[in-house]
Amino acid sequence: MIVKIEARLNRDRPVWRRAAGVRAALTLMIGGTVLAACGSTSPATSAPSATPTPVCTGTTANPGYSNGLATVSGQATTLSGAGSTFVAPMMSVWTKAYATANSVQVAYQSVGSGAGIAQLQANTVDFGDSDAFMKDSDIAKAKGPVVQIPLVQAPVVVAYNLPGVASGLKLDGDTIGKIFSGGITVWNDPAIKALNPAITLPSTPVAVAHRSDGSGTTAIFTDFMTQTSPAWVTALGGSTTSVGKTVAWPVGIGGKGNEGVSAVISQTPGGIGYIELDYAIAQHQTYADVKNKAGNFVEPCEQTAANATVGITSYPSDLRVDIVNQSSNAQAYPITGLTWALVYQNQTKAATAAALVNFFSWVLTKGQDLTGSVNYTPLGPTLQALCIAQLKKITVNGTPVSP
Amino acid sequence: MTQLAVGTPGFRNRPALRRRRAKSAVLVGLLIAAVVVAVGVLAWVLVYVAIQGVGALNLGFLTQTPPGNPAAAGGGFYNGIVGSLIIVGIAALIGIPLGIGAAIYLVEYGRGRLADTIRFFNDVLIGVPTIVTGAFIYAIWVTRFGFSGFAGSLALAIVMLPLVTRTTEEMLRLVPNELREGSLALGATRSQTVMRVCIPTALPGIITGAMLAVARAMGETAPLLLTALGNDLFTEYNPAKRMSTLSLQIFDNAVTGFQEGQGRAWAGALTLIAIVLIFTFVARFFGRRVRTSNA
Repeated sequence: MIVKIEARLNRDRPVWRRAAGVRAALTLMIGGTVLAACGSTSPATSAPSATPTPVCTGTTANPGYSNGLATVSGQATTLSGAGSTFVAPMMSVWTKAYATANSVQVAYQSVGSGAGIAQLQANTVDFGDSDAFMKDSDIAKAKGPVVQIPLVQAPVVVAYNLPGVASGLKLDGDTIGKIFSGGITVWNDPAIKALNPAITLPSTPVAVAHRSDGSGTTAIFTDFMTQTSPAWVTALGGSTTSVGKTVAWPVGIGGKGNEGVSAVISQTPGGIGYIELDYAIAQHQTYADVKNKAGNFVEPCEQTAANATVGITSYPSDLRVDIVNQSSNAQAYPITGLTWALVYQNQTKAATAAALVNFFSWVLTKGQDLTGSVNYTPLGPTLQALCIAQLKKITVNGTPVSP
Repeated sequence: MTQLAVGTPGFRNRPALRRRRAKSAVLVGLLIAAVVVAVGVLAWVLVYVAIQGVGALNLGFLTQTPPGNPAAAGGGFYNGIVGSLIIVGIAALIGIPLGIGAAIYLVEYGRGRLADTIRFFNDVLIGVPTIVTGAFIYAIWVTRFGFSGFAGSLALAIVMLPLVTRTTEEMLRLVPNELREGSLALGATRSQTVMRVCIPTALPGIITGAMLAVARAMGETAPLLLTALGNDLFTEYNPAKRMSTLSLQIFDNAVTGFQEGQGRAWAGALTLIAIVLIFTFVARFFGRRVRTSNA
């Protein structure tokens, strides 16, 4: 009921007034939905209406973190990394800026999270990167304990190619689950219509695009559907097989990397797929507002992705945390994920270890100020401080690299 | 034909001859059409790549590295150009001498089952998909020493080796046996005959073959994906480190989906075609020059 009021408020107001409408709806909700959500998961909820959260307008302030580790001397001048395509545009900006400032060249190849983990396990790279943290079974196949460091967070958007329909189609988890499991096959399906009464939807068939390679983006997206869509879980045969870097897609066309999926969406009228926000923006693709835990339909952007960790106060010590659809913040975009740098805890080469610690310390401090240029979201202060602490776990033949 | 002058009465009425002439005209027509299609496609590719690529191609493209933000315009593939030259250069240093050596053995010394076996495996090697070559080097080299430009060179050397062997073998077989016999009759040893007579005679062909193998290696992407891996943003001169090549950068930028990246990919494709054409022309030039000076 509350949700409907809020939705109507939003629809009738011009864009710049929507935040106020949301706030009004929120004050009504505090007693109900938000607190009810508290008990179900570990993250605690902050009072969302106390400080009204900005929505997708303007720019966010740079965090300006200055708690980096002291530079370790004797570092190598090159590093070799590979993995996630989700973080690739961000990593490209970081490595270029870092080379200019520090004369250390970090080569990063966008091969996919699955391949990133595989190359770390094979020890062919100095670091890997994945948007799904390595599970114990993954680490067992590696050559030793792995330190996993969140670097940045970003939204996975549900992008679609519907000529005549602008960005902002409203979708909830169960509808998304039905679309990606083949339960909804045309765009004017009653379920989509019910969420978007004001939009004229064509009868174009739905063409699902998904990842063909092992993908952290897939892990984030299937995690969201598993949490919110019983139809998806049933179609995939249970909640253990419905989430992961690769799942048995019942329908759709595969594309390699975020690049491949966005290409499939662009080329297919009626296409729908899940990609990292920067890929969608760069290609002028349209994408959906997704219903979050608080019941609001939220546009994915830097600010709403930042809200996704608002209210999460405790993190596990290994930082293997699931932030997908966890925050009850009214303006949190639910399909927001982290990407983890993967580094062997005990390094064998002192120069490489020093270069790794220096680079990631820079990424977690100065690097966080560069996220806006490619539409990524800096880590919140709580998580950022824990990530810096995580770097201190890295050792060279048993001795900590950064004292 | 002399007895059947065109004006002879009844000439045109000979049905058998008419049928043969018609058949000949049709077949010649088909052959001309094949040539037009073959050359036309080549011209189409060249013109299309030139049109697409010329927009982003400028001096900066040849002297700069790509910008950090893949959606930003400008920058260039200097790192890829350098990487291609270094990786293919090392591959040529490994592959060409080995290939020529193998061909000399096969033509001048090889007899019997061993030579047949080598020839058979060389033919097999030509047919091996290059991605498999890359996977092989990944398994035996990269898993031990990591991704590097040198690993890419090893993979490309394996791609070049059978091509060089095959062309050199063909060229040496064209050397008339009388030359060898003459040389041996004058008291030259077998090795002197090979070094002073056979190789100089076949040299233009050998050089052309080697250059074509270099051009082929220049354009290879698949064997490098699993060996050199790429270093999209930075120039690396040390082959022990990860390196980019033009082909890898074209691939990476073409698939990003960022329009500016795709523009750079087209310019890179144009640059690569230009480099390959230069190698081919140099090969032709050398081939002709050596031949005339030998005659």
